Order: sequence, then C-alpha cells, then structure tokens
Amino acid sequence: MSPAAATRLVARSLVKRFGPVTALDGVDVDIEGGHALAVLGPNGAGKSTLLRILAGLAQATSGELTVTRAGAAAPGRGRRAARAGVGFAGHATLLYPELSARENLIFHGRLHGIADPQGRADALLADEGLATVADRRAGTFSRGMSQRLSISRALVHDPGVVLLDEPFSGLDRRAGDRLSLRLRALRDEGRLVVLVSHDLARASEIADRAIVLLAGRVAHTASAGELGRDALEDAYARALDASLPPVPGDAGGTTAGPSA
Amino acid sequence: MRVLAAILWKDLITEWRSRDRVVAMLVFSLLVVIVYHFALPEGTGPDIAVHTPGLLWVVFVFAALIGLNRAFAMELENDALAGLALIPADRGWVFAGKAVANALLLFLVQGLAAAAFGLVFDIDLAASALPLAGVFALGTLGIAPVGTLLSAMAVRTRFREVLLPILLLPALFPVLAGAVEGTAEVLRDGGPSFASVQLLLVVDGIYWIICFIGFDYVLDE
Amino acid sequence: MNGLGPIASRLRTVSGALLGILLVTYVYTVANAPIDSVQGVIQKILYVHPPLAYGAYLGFVVTAVCGGLYLWRADEKWDRLAIAGAEVGVIFCTLMIVTGPIWAKGTWGKWWSWDPRLTVTLLLWFVYLAYLLLRSFSEGGARTARFAAVYGLVGIALIPLNYFVIEIFGGRGMHPENLERGSLGEGMGLPFLMGNLTLFVAFWWFVLARWELENLRALGLAKRADPMARAREEIA
Repeated sequence: MSPAAATRLVARSLVKRFGPVTALDGVDVDIEGGHALAVLGPNGAGKSTLLRILAGLAQATSGELTVTRAGAAAPGRGRRAARAGVGFAGHATLLYPELSARENLIFHGRLHGIADPQGRADALLADEGLATVADRRAGTFSRGMSQRLSISRALVHDPGVVLLDEPFSGLDRRAGDRLSLRLRALRDEGRLVVLVSHDLARASEIADRAIVLLAGRVAHTASAGELGRDALEDAYARALDASLPPVPGDAGGTTAGPSA
Repeated sequence: MRVLAAILWKDLITEWRSRDRVVAMLVFSLLVVIVYHFALPEGTGPDIAVHTPGLLWVVFVFAALIGLNRAFAMELENDALAGLALIPADRGWVFAGKAVANALLLFLVQGLAAAAFGLVFDIDLAASALPLAGVFALGTLGIAPVGTLLSAMAVRTRFREVLLPILLLPALFPVLAGAVEGTAEVLRDGGPSFASVQLLLVVDGIYWIICFIGFDYVLDE
Repeated sequence: MNGLGPIASRLRTVSGALLGILLVTYVYTVANAPIDSVQGVIQKILYVHPPLAYGAYLGFVVTAVCGGLYLWRADEKWDRLAIAGAEVGVIFCTLMIVTGPIWAKGTWGKWWSWDPRLTVTLLLWFVYLAYLLLRSFSEGGARTARFAAVYGLVGIALIPLNYFVIEIFGGRGMHPENLERGSLGEGMGLPFLMGNLTLFVAFWWFVLARWELENLRALGLAKRADPMARAREEIA
C-alpha cells in the first residue's frame, strides 16, 4: 500500500453557514495517517457537514483545509488537490442501482483515472467478499452488501484519507462486526480514517481519538488512550442532552435549559 | 476526456437497460404530433410545408424538456452526484459527459419524431435526410449544454419540473431561431444557408464554454 | 458588517435628496415641453421610456457582474447586490414594456410589433423573471446564490447572442433609432436629459435601498433564526 506515514489532514477554524444557520462554528481537525478519528455528536451537530467539507464536496464559508498526500512534494492546498487523495463513503451509497457491482467500481475507477479499472475492481470485490455477486446489479443488494460495495467504491483510487459517514447505520450485528474489522485494517494499513457516527461503542472500536461536536463546535476532544473512558462518554451524553429541546413539564432534566 | 467518456458510457448503458427516458420522450413526441393532426384544420396540405420547421422544433423542445427533467434523477437517487463531484479532475468534464449523453438521446428521438411527423402530414422528409440531420444535430448541440446545466440546478429546487422550462425556454431563443431557419432552408433550398449554420455554431460554442465553467459552481454544496 | 454598509447608506441618503430635487425639475420640464405636432401628447412617453430601458439593462448588468463577483469571492454582499439589481431591473423593464405599447398604439397604430429590439427586450424580461423564480424556488443560502449567479451570467450572454440572431436574419425594425443624431425637436432636449438623469439616480437609489434592506434582513435572520445559537449558549 501507499507509504502513508506522511499523510496528514489539517483543518483550521472551519466555518460553514447555510443562509442564517451556522452549521459549523470554528472547527479544527488535525490527524495523520495510521490514525482514526471519530466525530461524535447528536443529530444536526454538523458532523456530516464537516465530513463533506473535508471530502471537498462542500466549501467552507471560511477556514482552511490542507491535505498532505503521502509521497507528495508539497501539501496540496485547494479543493481539487484535496479530492485526489480522499475517499468518501457517504450516508447514501453513491452507487448506481442500474449498474452491476463491478461496473460501479469500474466507472469510478475511470473517473479517477486509475491505470487498470477492471483489475482494481476485481481485486476490491475479492477483498470485500463480493466476487460471487460482482455481476449482480447494485440495486438488488442488501444493506450490508451495499455498504461494503460503497466502501470499495471509496477505496477505488487507493486514497490515503478515508472519510465515512455513519457507516454502521442499518447494519445488523454481524455485518457491523465485519465492517468494524475492515475499517481497523484500513487504519492499520497506514490510512487516515475519519468516521462520523452517533454510535460511541462502534466508533471506539476503530478510532484512537475522538471529537464531540455540538451545535457546530467541538465540545470535547479525546486524544489517544482516552477513548472508552468515562470523560468521553460524559461529554457525549452532555452533548446529546444539550441538543434536545427542553421537554415540557420535565423540570428534572439534565439540561439547565433557559426557561421559555 | 476520460471522465467525459466514463460518464457517457455510464449514462448510455443505464439508459439502455431501463430505456425509460427515451421511451418517455418518444411517446410524448408522438402524442404532440398526433395533437398537431387534430389541432390543425383539414386541408393544411400545401401550407403545412411552411409550418413544418417550427412545428418540428416545438416537438423537439418538448422532448428535450421531458428527457432533461430526468437527466439528473439517477444522480440524486443514492447521492451519486456526490461521487461525481469528488473526482480530482475539472468537474466541467462531468457536465460534458452528461451533456453529450443528453444530446445523443435527443438526436435519436428527433429522427424518429421527424419520421412520424412526415408520415402523419405526408411530407417527404427522407429526401433531405442528411442536411436535416445536420441542422438537427447543430440545434441539439445548442439545447444540450444549457439544458444539462439548468437541469442540474432545477432538480435541486422545489417545483423542479415546472422550473426547468421556465429557465430553459428563454435561453433557447438563439438556438431555436437558427435551427428553425436552418430547417426551413433545408426544406426549401435543399440545404441550410451559411448564415444559419454560422449562427448555430457560434451559439453552440458559447453555450458549451459558459456551461462547462458554470457547472463547477452548480455541483458544489 | 462589511465596510460597504455605511457607505451604501450614505450614498442612498445623498441620492435620495438629489432625487427629490431632480424629480421636481423633471416633472416641470416635461410639463412645459412642446407638444409634438405629429404624434401629439403621447410623444411625451419619450421622456420616460428610453431612460427606463437604460435602467433595465443596467440592472441586469449589475446582476450579472455581482453574480460573477460572488462566484469569484464567495462574499454574500455581492449576492445581495445581485438581488437588488435583478429586482429593480425587472421593475424598470416591466415599466418599459408597459409604456412602449402605449406610445406604439398612438404612433404605429398597434400595441406590439415583433420588432427586433422589442423581441430581445421581452426575452430578457423573461430571463430575469426566471431568475427571480429560481431564487424563490431554491432553498436559500449559498447554493441558491450560486445557481442564481450562474443563471444571471447565462442571461447576460443572451443579450449579444440575441442581437447576433437579429443581425444575421436581418429584420429591419420599426423601433426608432437611439437618439444620437440630434433628432429631438426644439425644447425637447432638456426634459429628455432630465428624464435620463432622474431615472438614473432613481435606479441607484432603489438598488441601494434594496441592497440595504437585504443586508439588514440577512443580519436579522442570522440573529433570530439560528436554532444552534441556543445550544451554543448552553455549552458556553
């Protein structure tokens, strides 16, 4: 695999506004290859927005994003450079149901201009245990198979950075275990993994650091070794509470919300 | 260019498997031709030749609108558009691939719709098939770029099906002016004049350039 | 706020005062202008119609240029100025399209003719109506602004293209030439000049006012409608 020791992703004070709504309010991320970062937080905290900015899909209103690719002479600034070394697996699968599994991978291989799209597709399908269903249309796949194919799609150009948005949602326990193993392998290959999730247990299987987002800000940072400790769980629980509107009549809530 | 080729291949192969857009465009075109038959009074005989270019291009524009409204549907289904936006090349090539695919589909429908028009109104269009195909192609190459760009916008708004024609039709005036005039010249003189070919080439060129550049901004989130 | 806000506000005040003075002079000179011996009183539309046309085209240029600046710099203030240009442009264009036929009915004997200049202007009016519809049908925010900017640029490219069509296919129009060869009769020059001046200032006054309003609205929305603000305050 790629000599990924030099892969690095740095984001400085990212801000993203959608009209009047501030989705991200000054978020910093700094992570290197061989590590995995979990981005935790309640719904609407800005997790997916952050991931889409890191992928180069969305443009931050302000802030800076630098992706250093392994082996590259200089850190790539700008979004096109960022896109080249980044693999993104979204909340949706990004697949075409009319195309077979192999065709989906070959198509994306061609988009990225890799040398041998067919061979690469077959290798990825074999890796994911999808070789036997390679010629079935993606539209007929189960959620678990789609998810595996979706991750293969993200890896088609062998990116040093892998970004995943809620990869565990909709998977049963076995499929989830399998995916977890696969993602840890990606990290151990030296890739840089960023994982958006609201599932703390799953996230801590893979990640060696975590941030908790709340209302577009980093509410808590857990560095290596702190994962699975009470501090992170507390921070996450507090973030979840704070994101909920006060329940009428629930005076004893954990939130000290402003009384309306 | 490889991005263009990949997108073109993907669009054509998915269309070949489902055939839903071409079929919808064709059925609609035929219906419009039939409606013409009932809407135009009996005995339009010799007169119909004069109106043929305009009537034909109305059919083509309707067919294009039907097809373009669905052009980005499959890209939205699984957020596949994000996959296209992620390419490390200029996103204009994504646009070019989609636009060429749209142009090919429309060109195919044009041929069949024109044949149907000829049958229904008893006009011999086959005699000048080649110059007609040339004018159709030039007109289609003007409709496809703006149509593709505006369709990519319209599908991500409310009332998408309503908005596309409102956005597209005023922008098509230069294309339609040249294409209708060129078609009339073919039917009258056997070939299009230099003026209409020149106009279509200029308009097509400018539209391809503007839309190629503009698409990058449309694809952003 | 950006530094342009106060300047725009001051400019608007100044142009507002100027507009007041100009308006009075304008009405006075038009009232005192001689009545055309052939066309009669209807000829006085000349003092309104061409200045409206300049305003309309100016508005669309403002929209396209500011749209381009927005795409380049991603600064929302340009987008807000583009809105102002489009809305004021559409109003000027509408008034022009209304005043034209009134004059035409009196002079040409029919309300409308498919004269090249009329055709192009009508098409442009549709383009900018579509521009405003596109804005109101989109969800708002940066995407709407980008869509609108791209469409505005397509729209401005249509002006030369449409004129190119007309040039190629001929079609000598019946619309009077632009007034450059001193074709104005005795005593008509001053009110015509005043018309241009007044409506030019009026155009900018409206644009600046609309811009200010949009800026204030953005500011107000940012304060009021951010559901995240409460949660942020809580953890702070």
